[in-house]
Amino acid sequence: MGRIVGIDLGTTNSLVAYIDAQTGQPKCIPGPYGSTLCPSVVSIDADGSIIVGEPAKRRLLTQPERTIYSVKRLMGRGPGDIQDELKLFPFRIDPSSKNVIRVRLGQKVFTPPEISAFVLRELKNWAEAFFGETVDRAVVTVPAYFNDAQRQATKDAGKIAGLEVLRLVNEPTAAALAYGLHEKQRGRVAVYDLGGGTFDISVLKLISTSEGDIYQVLSTNGDTHLGGDDIDNLLQAFVHERILQHNQIDFSPHGELAQELRKALINVKHQLSEADMATLRFSLPNGKVFAHEFTRGAFEALVKPVVDRTMGPVKQALSDAQLKPSDMDEVVLVGGATRTPLIRHTVQEYFDRKPHRELNPDEVVALGAAVQANILDRGVKNMLLLDVTPLSLGIETYGGAVAKVIPRNSTIPASAQELYTTGVDNQTGIEIHVLQGERELAKDCRSLARFTLKVPPAPAGLPRIEVKFLIDANGILQVGAKDLRTGEQHFIEVQPSYGISDTEIERMLEESIEYAEQDFAERQLIEARTEAESILTATAKALTNPQAASLSAEERSRIDASVAALKESVAGSDYKLIRKRIDELNQATEHLAELLMSCAVSTALEGRKLAEV
Amino acid sequence: MSTVPTSVQAPLVCWNCHERTLGTHFCSSCGKLLQLPPGIDYFALFEMPRNLWIEMGALEQKFLQLSWKLHPDNFVNASEQERELSLKRSSELNDAYRTLRDPIARVEYLLAIEGERKEGETKQQAPPELLEEVFELNESLDELREAKASGEDLAELKSRLEAAEKNFQEKLHDVDGELQATAREWDAALTGDSLTRKKIMARLNDLLNRRSYIRNLVTNVAKELAEV
Repeated sequence: MGRIVGIDLGTTNSLVAYIDAQTGQPKCIPGPYGSTLCPSVVSIDADGSIIVGEPAKRRLLTQPERTIYSVKRLMGRGPGDIQDELKLFPFRIDPSSKNVIRVRLGQKVFTPPEISAFVLRELKNWAEAFFGETVDRAVVTVPAYFNDAQRQATKDAGKIAGLEVLRLVNEPTAAALAYGLHEKQRGRVAVYDLGGGTFDISVLKLISTSEGDIYQVLSTNGDTHLGGDDIDNLLQAFVHERILQHNQIDFSPHGELAQELRKALINVKHQLSEADMATLRFSLPNGKVFAHEFTRGAFEALVKPVVDRTMGPVKQALSDAQLKPSDMDEVVLVGGATRTPLIRHTVQEYFDRKPHRELNPDEVVALGAAVQANILDRGVKNMLLLDVTPLSLGIETYGGAVAKVIPRNSTIPASAQELYTTGVDNQTGIEIHVLQGERELAKDCRSLARFTLKVPPAPAGLPRIEVKFLIDANGILQVGAKDLRTGEQHFIEVQPSYGISDTEIERMLEESIEYAEQDFAERQLIEARTEAESILTATAKALTNPQAASLSAEERSRIDASVAALKESVAGSDYKLIRKRIDELNQATEHLAELLMSCAVSTALEGRKLAEV
Repeated sequence: MSTVPTSVQAPLVCWNCHERTLGTHFCSSCGKLLQLPPGIDYFALFEMPRNLWIEMGALEQKFLQLSWKLHPDNFVNASEQERELSLKRSSELNDAYRTLRDPIARVEYLLAIEGERKEGETKQQAPPELLEEVFELNESLDELREAKASGEDLAELKSRLEAAEKNFQEKLHDVDGELQATAREWDAALTGDSLTRKKIMARLNDLLNRRSYIRNLVTNVAKELAEV
């Protein structure tokens, strides 16, 4: 068995984390570009190879039609659900989409889980490069308010990426785990999590028992289509309008120019988290420069609707937990969007309490996922997570009404039994429609599955079939049926309304492995080149240091020769040769590295590489 | 939920070691997780008598204690059979806690295991003493809908309905009070003769039906008023 990691599969960025064996603390793993954030962006090359993360993000500007971002918004959704998204996001939905959406990327067509799988596989690669071992299992986080189909789609993505998903953990719960470990918090905690595309609020109770700490979720609420992206959309719409007014330029919201503007606006947004004023300067196709000065006040007035939309779920979660804002002992802010001062102030005012934001809001969810992964892997028995189902589970009854069988905020796993019989003689099937949601009519709830219970012919009312609905610890529904007259168990093949079949997943897994093999060598090359660049830069810089003068002529010429050899290899495409030359240069610069440190330190750090000094 | 439990627990044969075992959760011989033994209802699971008054702190403590033992997290690396069992056992535990924690669900469950309430029984007939008021209420609701459709002034109708809503809210409160008092009677008669117990249960059953009827009324009125 390989290693296990915790993964935050985000709308904007994804991260992978593990538990450091020495400190017992969770840590995020950096990728080849040094950052722990992997942009959740996937691009396809003309030759069909897949590019993920930072390089894919750059291609948003140059090749938007071959590149996709924010695909999490499409997970587990049908074509009818996403009309609003299509106005704001450049998703190219393929006409072949039926229940499951298919998006075009270059010449190819993919489902959202397949695209997410590319991101997961990239993170798996990061972790494998970091450990030097295979990684085959993961705990993956999902928004707490994700429904069954969205959870199933996330689990499918893991499978397609060659990962066994041991558990889906709700993002705010993961954050609470990371904070609990870090701050030793106790009592009632509210976690406010505004990510790139989703909003969650969870109310937890942290309990110390003689066996260990229990993280019990009391209630959760949210909006799976509300996030930092919406702030960007508001800004973009505002500026589009201005440019149209002043310059008569109406550019398509999805083209290259729009992507460039979006990037510039995100930069302005980030600046306004620190400064009171920021200026947008944007070159228009007519050669003019559009400039606009944003004050923080004007920015806040613009984005206030997004912040206001988060407060409804916050109030609902508290009322479901039968608590008042003042009952909370701690409030935690999670997600990159909570860097916006307006959000911090709004939350602080509502709870009358300074929210925690000690842990990096981008990393905290991945860190919590790593904690849960460790619990599951090692059977660490001093922590237990009790989460809830965010939405009520119901069954359609006569007249299109819904009978709730498992109420929202029930601790999971949770189950319910329903007894069914026939209405007419020799009826051979009973139709069952399972739904999720709080509304009273089936048409207003989310359809999870429809299936037909097979019944042996008998007089009406005689058959007695017990159907068991079970929501597992991942928040995913399982259905089983038992004939109470014969005691026979039926396995029900439930085809989820918006899901992918197992056979399809198998095929996708095979294809995904092909992609992985295709780009393995390429990835190695990119990584080797990146490393070569950094060591070449470090060497050049070190050689300008006065200490370098004490190198012998022989040492100096060996370094120069190694540098030249490495440069030559970088121009080629043999990653093994680059690795070899990197090692050679590292050896040649060992003495130089020592010289750069004080004598006392140098003895302790003997054998270090120049790039590490 | 539909089985009538026996108070004496029959010895069970462990699925793993095939020894007879008396454990409720784990086999007394091999230590493996067991199926919930027949006859263990939600009260027995929490080692509580079938009282309708439950001390919440004790219930929670027992819930957390059992959660440590039964949660699927403990069985990630176990055999598939044990994993399935743990899923089943911990969902039963959560279902039991959810039911006993809620005072109304608790009464419903008690009547179900005592065989005094059929599953899904919520007779939607108006209690006779409420007939007149319910009739008036429905008339006002119809008038409101008509007035809404024709755009007439709603103020007077609205205040009439609000008064009716308040009236039924109070009735709901009264039923809750009666339920509590009857629950106390049940607890006192727990070890008493079966006739007395049957009579108390019949009253509890009536109160539950009445409560669910009034609650539906209140919800409906509130919904109509919210749309004004």
